[in-house]
Order: sequence, then C-alpha cells, then structure tokens
Amino acid sequence: MSVVARALVALMLAAPAAVAQDARLVARLDKPTLDAVTAIVDSARAAKLPTAPLVDRALEGSAKGSDGRKIISAVKQLSVRMGSARRALGATATADEIKAAAGALDAGISANDLARLRAASGKRPVTTPLDVLTDLVGRAVPVDAATNVVVQLAKSGVKDPEFALFQRNVRADIDRGADPTVAATTRARGLVQRAGTGTKPSK
Amino acid sequence: MADEDDVMMKKIAQELRKPVPVSTSFDARVMRAVRELPRHARRRLWSRLNAPRTITVQPLGWGLLAASVALFALLGAMHASADINRVAKASANFFPKTKATTPDQRVQFVLVAPDAKKVSVVGDFNGWDAQHIEYQAQHRGGGVWSVTAQVPVGHHRYSFVVDDSLWVADPTAPRVVDNDFGVANSTMVVQEQK
Amino acid sequence: MEGSSDAVIVSRVLRGDVEAFGVLVGRYRDRYARYAFHMLGNREDAEEALQDAFTRAYRSLARCEDPERFGAWLFRILINRCRTLGARRGRRAQTFVVDEVAILEAAEDHPAERTAWREEIDRALERLRADQREAFVLKYVEEMGYDEMSELTGVGVSALKMRVMRACERLRELLSEVHSG
Repeated sequence: MSVVARALVALMLAAPAAVAQDARLVARLDKPTLDAVTAIVDSARAAKLPTAPLVDRALEGSAKGSDGRKIISAVKQLSVRMGSARRALGATATADEIKAAAGALDAGISANDLARLRAASGKRPVTTPLDVLTDLVGRAVPVDAATNVVVQLAKSGVKDPEFALFQRNVRADIDRGADPTVAATTRARGLVQRAGTGTKPSK
Repeated sequence: MADEDDVMMKKIAQELRKPVPVSTSFDARVMRAVRELPRHARRRLWSRLNAPRTITVQPLGWGLLAASVALFALLGAMHASADINRVAKASANFFPKTKATTPDQRVQFVLVAPDAKKVSVVGDFNGWDAQHIEYQAQHRGGGVWSVTAQVPVGHHRYSFVVDDSLWVADPTAPRVVDNDFGVANSTMVVQEQK
Repeated sequence: MEGSSDAVIVSRVLRGDVEAFGVLVGRYRDRYARYAFHMLGNREDAEEALQDAFTRAYRSLARCEDPERFGAWLFRILINRCRTLGARRGRRAQTFVVDEVAILEAAEDHPAERTAWREEIDRALERLRADQREAFVLKYVEEMGYDEMSELTGVGVSALKMRVMRACERLRELLSEVHSG
C-alpha cells in the first residue's frame, strides 16, 4: 500500500473508538514489537486479565530505552505473573491487587505467600500490604521474614495508612544503619501492640 | 484559440488566488475545540531514532542523591470538578480500555535534588513520559523540587527522572524491583478522598 | 516558536504543548480556507470544513509520518473533509452567496466590474463536477504539479490531467455563455 493510501486509510479510521491498537504504543514501538505486544495484550484480554498494566509496561520499557526484545519479554513476563497472581488471590481480585501482586511475585514472593496474605486480610484489599511486602524484600529483608511480618500485621487488622507509615519508619531505620529484619520486626511488633490497644502510633 | 483559452484560464486562476477572508474568531474556535481533546503526551520524536541508551545509576551519584533526598507524597483532597470529569471522559474515549469511573486526585510529588537542573515525574498515569507538561517539577529553592498533578485513583508505579537521564525511585515510597528493565520504581495507592 | 519548522512544532504538540498547535493553525489557515471556499462555495461551510480538518489533524497527530510535511498531510485531511461535506450538501446553484467582505476587500481600479467577474467565476466553478473542480483548483489555484496532486488526492496522474482538461473546457463554456448572453 502506498504511503498516501495508508495515511488516508488511517485518517478514515481516526475515530478514537475505532482504535484497535493503543495509539501510544503505535507511536513509540517499532512494528515487530508492537505486533508482539498487541498479541500478548489480546491474549490477556481473552483471559480477562487487566490489559492496561501490559500497555504501561511496554511504554515504560520504551521510555527506559529498552530494545524491542526486552520490552516483549517484560510484557510477557508481566502477563504470566498477573495470571499467577489472580490464581493465588482468587477470581475476585481487583486489577490493583493483581498489579501489586505481580510486583511481589517479581520480587521473589511466592504464590503461596500471596494466598496467605489474602487469607489474613479477610475483606480488606491487599494492594498496599503487597506493596509494603515487596518493598521490604527489596530492602533486603528475607522473603520469609518479610512475609511473616506483613501477614501478622494484616491479621491484626492494620489499615492502609498504618501500613504506609510502617514502611516509611522501617526505611528510615534501615537508612540509619539498622539491620533490615530487625527494623521490620521491631516496628511491626509496635504496630501490632497498638492495633491491639487501639492507640494511635506517634510519628 | 489555445492561446486565448490559456490566457482566460490564467485570469481565472489569478482571480481565484486572491485571499478569502476568514472570520476573526476562527483561530479561537479551532483552539477551543482542540483544547477539549485529550492532550498528547509522548517523548521526543527524534529520541526514537537514537540508539537505545542504557540508563545507569552511578553508585556515587546514587549514594549522594539517596543521602540528600527526602520525599513525601501528600494526598490532597479535591472536589470533583467539571473539568476533571471532562478530561476523564475524554481520556476514556481516547484510550477505550480505561474506565474513568472515579475522579483523579491531586497528588504532590516532592524530590530534594540540589544538583538537578530538571526533575520530572513519570509513571503509568502519564505513559512514562518525562516531557509531559503537567508533570514537570518546579524548583522551589534549596534543592526542593515539587509538582502537584492529577493521578487517577488506584495503584500506580512511578519514578522521578532527573535531568532527563537519571531515574530516581521515590526513597520513602514502597519500592518495586524491576528485573526486566533493571531500574527500580516506586509504587503508590491513590485513594479517593471523600 | 513562530519561526520554527512544522516538525519542531508538531514535536512540541505531541509532548503536551497544546497551545503550540495554534502556530500551525495560523500558518495554514488562509491558504486552506481559500481552497475550502472554492470547493464548497461559501465561507461558512469552508470554515466548518477547515476547523474540522484542524481538529482531526490534532487528534491524529501522532500518525503524521513526516512532520516536516505537516502542511501536505493537513491538506489531505482537508481535501477529504471537503469531499464529504460537498457530497452531503449537494449543489448550491441558487444559494451561492456573494461574500460582502470579499467585495469590500477587492481593491481594484474597477471594483464593480471585478466583483461581477469574480462572481461569475465563482458560479462557474461551483457548477463544475466536484472532482473536476478539485483538480482544477489544485492545478491552477494551488499551482501544484500533477505528481503532488496525485499524492494528495490518491488519484492517478492521467485521470487528474483529464479532469483538469474537462474543467477548463466547462469553465470556458460557462463563462463564454455569460459574456455572449
């Protein structure tokens, strides 16, 4: 097809609702990468997995200067992890929970641990606890210790703002030279105690 | 006959080439219509043509930055305005997968980076575009950079980009490893403020 | 920014600078308004087609393959808009309106004569078949070469030459009628 004809066809299909491929991906990826990513996105859609994170992952890779091969691999890996995440968290998992869980799996947290956290959290969303767990592991708290700490906090009914504060405090302690595991378990103990007594933590 | 015809065509053409006046409000009408459309957001056209850059974080630079960086993200409450709903609706049409069911929230991003010349926020809410005009931090003085921008409710991955080259995760926000691209990001969960 | 090339401005717009698009509007407005006016016969329709073309161009801007030739790309969009609008509204033989502003702006020695002559040309042009009118305007008014015309319209060169020839014949006919009548 000539350049002109292609342009004319593209213009005729320019209505936003008719876009079959995300316009941002079309703008940023070369054709082979775009086709491969689109195929992964389509499969995810068929499997009823969230597709926005896959598109975002491709855009992220492009922004970070990665080549097409790496981008395709990253999108594929994310798709696989999201599938595992949903199996571990259950069919009612929200898109946000699946996203956060995919990050946790990438950090080395097991599907089994995800299921434990789900069970410990009851009806509360696990999005923030998962982010905190991923962060702890990323700051060199061993996976088992980190999972135990976060599951314990979830069981105690700790809410999202307290989880966030816990994470900031642990980070500050580590930055000042504390052993990561000790920092995490110490702060968690304090939080569980407060959760038990109902007093607000001091900053 | 041919010459006369040619002359006639030339005269006709000359007449038709005269400018046709356009309403003085034309430009304003076009720009008004264009502003209603979803804003474009993508990184520099020509950088796609460059060889892929490896983004490295120099250990010393990282250490200095990490030592001097203190960051906090505040979630500010904002009433859902007609503007936000319109932007959310327009965005929903442009990227059909995204359902804008709750209004965006205003989030403040702060980075202390005394040596930076430019700081931008990138994330899954702006296509990881370091040039996106709404996410450019302003230098407030003393090495403090900040920007308050719209972020949809939900879970997000994001980062700062310093001087268009150095990716800096938010040190106080939860961090997520990135085994694929090698540069860690930050995560946040934006709640709807009631 | 006013002196910047189209590619530079397109790049800015794609990076989120909506207002930069205004420079492109100002740059191409007059020339393309003229084309739309000749194709559609009145200023209101011409401005509607042109505004539509600009907003479509903005929306599809990421698909502009050669931003240095943004003008040609925009023109293609406008040509299509004029075709669609022209087809929808049909002929306006009786409703062609002499633009008062055009009259006032005709600064010639014999303004009355020139205006009448202009009116006749406009009527004759309007009576051409749409595809012939398009080819004629692109060739004689926009002063394009056939290759360029072919690229813009998607029509082959020999077909375009035929259309231009038929347009000239018809215009001669119509305008001779006027002067002999």
